[in-house]
Amino acid sequence: MLSIKNLQVSVEDKPILRGLNLEVNPGEIHAIMGPNGSGKSTLAHVLAGREGYRIDGGSAYYKGINLLELAPEIRAREGMFLAFQYPIEIPGVNNTSFLKKALNEIRKHRGEEELDAIDFLDLIKKQMKLVEMKEDLLKRPVNQGFSGGEKKRNEILQMAVLNPLLAILDETDSGLDIDALRIVAGGVNKLRTKDNAFVVITHYQRLLDYIVPDFVHVLSNGQIIKSGNKDLALELEERGYDWLLDKAETRD
Amino acid sequence: MESSQNQFSEWLNKQIHSSNSGAFALSPELRATSLSVLDAGVFPNRKNEEWRYTPLREILSQSPVLADKTQINPALIAAFKEAVPNALHLVFVDGEFSNEFSGSISALDKTGLTIEHISTLHGESRKRAEDTIRQSSLSDDNIFQHISLGLSRSGLFIEIQKNHEVDRIVHILHLSTKSESRNFSNPVHVVRVSENSHMQLLEQYASIDAGKALSVPAVYIEVADGAGLDHFKIGLESNQSDHVSNTVVQVASSGVYKSHQYLLGSRLTRANLEVIFSGAGAQASLRGIYLGNADQHLDIRTFMDHAFPHCSSDQHFRGIMNDQSRGVFNGMVLVRRDAQKTDALQSNKNLLLSREARVDTKPQLEIYADDVKCAHGATVGELDKDALFYLQSRGIEKAEAKLMLTRAFAAEITQEIEIETLRSYVQDRISNLLDGVHASNV
Ligand SMILES: Nc1ncnc2c1ncn2[C@@H]1O[C@H](COP(=O)(O)OP(=O)(O)OP(=O)(O)O)[C@@H](O)[C@H]1O
Ligand SMILES: [Mg+2]
Repeated sequence: MLSIKNLQVSVEDKPILRGLNLEVNPGEIHAIMGPNGSGKSTLAHVLAGREGYRIDGGSAYYKGINLLELAPEIRAREGMFLAFQYPIEIPGVNNTSFLKKALNEIRKHRGEEELDAIDFLDLIKKQMKLVEMKEDLLKRPVNQGFSGGEKKRNEILQMAVLNPLLAILDETDSGLDIDALRIVAGGVNKLRTKDNAFVVITHYQRLLDYIVPDFVHVLSNGQIIKSGNKDLALELEERGYDWLLDKAETRD
Repeated sequence: MESSQNQFSEWLNKQIHSSNSGAFALSPELRATSLSVLDAGVFPNRKNEEWRYTPLREILSQSPVLADKTQINPALIAAFKEAVPNALHLVFVDGEFSNEFSGSISALDKTGLTIEHISTLHGESRKRAEDTIRQSSLSDDNIFQHISLGLSRSGLFIEIQKNHEVDRIVHILHLSTKSESRNFSNPVHVVRVSENSHMQLLEQYASIDAGKALSVPAVYIEVADGAGLDHFKIGLESNQSDHVSNTVVQVASSGVYKSHQYLLGSRLTRANLEVIFSGAGAQASLRGIYLGNADQHLDIRTFMDHAFPHCSSDQHFRGIMNDQSRGVFNGMVLVRRDAQKTDALQSNKNLLLSREARVDTKPQLEIYADDVKCAHGATVGELDKDALFYLQSRGIEKAEAKLMLTRAFAAEITQEIEIETLRSYVQDRISNLLDGVHASNV
């Protein structure tokens, strides 16, 4: 589904991703861990199509399409979703009408009929239960005045409504209390099918108790320096990153 | 330049010495000062701080006309009443009051509302109307005010008795019709809201069939002790029309004045709004949007005069400029020595949608009292790139995302309009104007 080969990306002439490889197949959950500043969010943004990054080499294919050539909105319509590490507040844009618009753009792209206000409301009410979000947040402008945790739940609500094929969750667990964490993870697990895939960026093994990954990768200094199964996360929890970093350096 | 400037001055001169002097609306005593100002004929130029950014060349180089009675198809009028369908509509066509299209003007109705033509006022009511004008001293005493006062032939005196809530919105609608030259109108309106009464007023300016016009209105308002006025102004004139207005509002003790101005049309608009607190504990909230396309020039000046203690004012003005359009916000908050416990806020935010668009913003704060809470600020910028990306990342096309964000920028002001029909009218007009904007930018 997603095939990244030797991806090299720089920001303002500073190399951030330095030859990154990742293969994600339908039905899989991948966790990406790694020290601050190692390039995890950069990877997520580049995959979602944010401006300001220079591709210096390598490739990223999604469903066989060259991802790097697609406008961000087309990627979304093709089934990609990024839950942002820092969801932005958008004053004046109503949360519900924004999400309805987004969903209908995606449905149009898929050749499905647009949902009218009533059907959309049914859907969103159902999905809100999934993330246990307060209903009044729907009436507010996107993320405006939301608490940190509410913003993260709103990301998951959007994911649940848009029902993506490939979802990238960038530290969705950061800033969540333990109940919220369980709810968000529960949401992901309910959305999980044999056809979709998740890439979960996190600093905490704790999340992976709830969302059990098939693969765990360590991203350091713009490269994936180690991959393993869920036990790798436990090992990282115990030992930190130093032992891996030392190895990576001697290998250079 | 000199000779072309004369066109308008010369025309004004002819009006001053017009044989039909009986038709002027205000009393000779009140007109006298204005006529001497007009005789001197000095127009502000770029050296005048308050007019630095306002190009008057086009206005001065043309001589307008006083339109003859124009026939218009009544069907055309309906659309202009949409904003407030159930209002008392008071319609002026090319500066002249239209009995045909207006609701009936009657003396004192049961809601305490009296509406009369200024030109036919007499006795005490003329005195009250003209007193309001006399007490309304403009900090920027510009010649355009005197064009209204000295030469006006039409206008309304709207008065509400004490302790009344006027349940119908009063809608003053100025329409200009199509003609070869510029139709001139210079109405003077006086509004007095007496003690503990409240009313809503919509002042609207528009063109039929892209008519050309020069409008120079002056509006004088008094909000008495404990009274309230919600005042809306919508400018939707054709892009061949110019508009220079002066509005002076006096707000007495515990009075509440709320203003919304939407400058969405014309070639050039200069709207001067001065609010003077004339008693303690008064409040004013001023809102506005100026939205320009092509080479429009939209210019708002506000002057907020805090002379009494415990008054509060807040101002939120937003500019949306596209193409080569130009916006000006020139806002002054003056807190005089005795105005202790003043709470004053002024904010001006501008969105530039094109590289050739331009905004000049001059928020000013002058404080002579020591125990006050004042803040002001201005920004000029583009759409937030992160917000754009967020919307795109959810499947919304870039052009559409830009449109959403621009609409949202305006909606933060328009959402405060409590009259539902009016709110959607303004929001729809803004959306329509933006559709054009973004289609041209994609
Ligand atoms: N726009 C930018 N301009 C300059 N440097 C940038 C920019 N964006 C990212 N970087 C740099 O790229 C590096 C990787 O950043 P990134 O946000 O991808 O890290 P991360 O792995 O997500 O870290 P964290 O765990 O703290 O979220 C950092 O050194 C960061 O400072
Ligand atoms: Mg990050």
